[in-house]
Amino acid sequence: MGPVVWTLSDEALLAGLGSGDPDAAAAFVDRFQRRVFGMSLSILRDRQAAEEAAQETFVRAWRHASAYDPRRGTVAAWLLTIARNTAINMLPSHRPYPVDPEALLGLQEPQPSKVGDGQLTPVSEPMREALMRLPGEQRRALVLAVFYGYTAREVSELNGTPVGTVKTRIRTALMRLRSELWVRDER
Amino acid sequence: MNGEMGCEQVRELAPDLAIGIADGQERDAALRHAATCPECRGLVSELSSVADDLLLLAPSHEPPPGFASRTLAAMTPSSPRPRRWFTRPAIPRATRRHPWMARLAVAASIVVALAVGAGAVYQGTSSDRRLADNYRSVLAQGHGSFFAAAPLQGPTGTLGRVFGYQGQPSWLFATLSRPAAQPEHFNVQLVTRDGRSLSLGEAVLGGTHNTWGSGIPVNITQVTQLRFEAASGQATMVAYLNAHSPWSSG
Repeated sequence: MGPVVWTLSDEALLAGLGSGDPDAAAAFVDRFQRRVFGMSLSILRDRQAAEEAAQETFVRAWRHASAYDPRRGTVAAWLLTIARNTAINMLPSHRPYPVDPEALLGLQEPQPSKVGDGQLTPVSEPMREALMRLPGEQRRALVLAVFYGYTAREVSELNGTPVGTVKTRIRTALMRLRSELWVRDER
Repeated sequence: MNGEMGCEQVRELAPDLAIGIADGQERDAALRHAATCPECRGLVSELSSVADDLLLLAPSHEPPPGFASRTLAAMTPSSPRPRRWFTRPAIPRATRRHPWMARLAVAASIVVALAVGAGAVYQGTSSDRRLADNYRSVLAQGHGSFFAAAPLQGPTGTLGRVFGYQGQPSWLFATLSRPAAQPEHFNVQLVTRDGRSLSLGEAVLGGTHNTWGSGIPVNITQVTQLRFEAASGQATMVAYLNAHSPWSSG
């Protein structure tokens, strides 16, 4: 494998994956395997199941690489969305799952500036900080919805909170994040 | 809900749409509206970006050894677009300069299987001949003449084992039975009988990384030590090899 492939952008690697380039495929898997496996493991909490889900994620990415639209988000977000959906589908009967969102995301831990993906990736520190500023119940409801695909009713059953209250928390949380991050971006 | 939605209703539902948790009828009605309303469509798009960015907060974890190889191999059989290259096992990044490394790993697994098989065969009658036949067969596959093995010693005792293979190519393969909790970078050195020290590059061992392998540029009988010297300078692991060809009289 030529060393140049390791410096290609995420988009270029994904294009290479879709077109059947072996070096690009190997580099793509190498670059994202830790994040994809991490996402799968966070949701499934079982290494064997997480490996299966992560592998399926890459197979789907390969098959649907041409469907990626850079105008709709980054390759990482696109791939992690596939990873999340794949893992959620593997959860046994999607029953309420005891999880602490703050532990899931390591929100209390300082984050490294480089993740082990072989290249520097933008750390979502503003996002993390904005999430930490949300009231705990909003943060928990939002993380359960975004990462586990919980509906408001499922969060309600998990927390013993009225459905209407949960809906309000999820909506308010996401709107607040959008407000904070868009204000920051426009400065 | 089977009627049309207005901006106010869609704005309220926009976060649910962005996250993907809106129920079917509401979603359909809201999306119909958004298709004709740039402002509502823009809001849903912005919130979708926020939700996507949230996913980037998921922690990274090291997958099991061999994950990349298995994943690339999985991208083939039932695919409508079969590709020859996906059937080949991926080679770990640190060792891609050696295209025969995949064969090396296979051969090393044969060594282990052979050792296990040997233990069982030894219990039975006529086991020695069967073992010898098996051994010759494995060697013939890799144009080899013999195997060697030695414990890998660290500051706290035996940490693993090193296997050596005399063949084309010759190689060394190390497995750790007691890897350190955290991965660490090592400079790998090979010391020969005539006192030369040859670099075999870098290795990352610890955490979930518990194997390393490399081809070697000398005959296995010339190797006296395989050394893993920590980049931090705090730990060294050494295997002392003293292999002799079983086919020679010396």
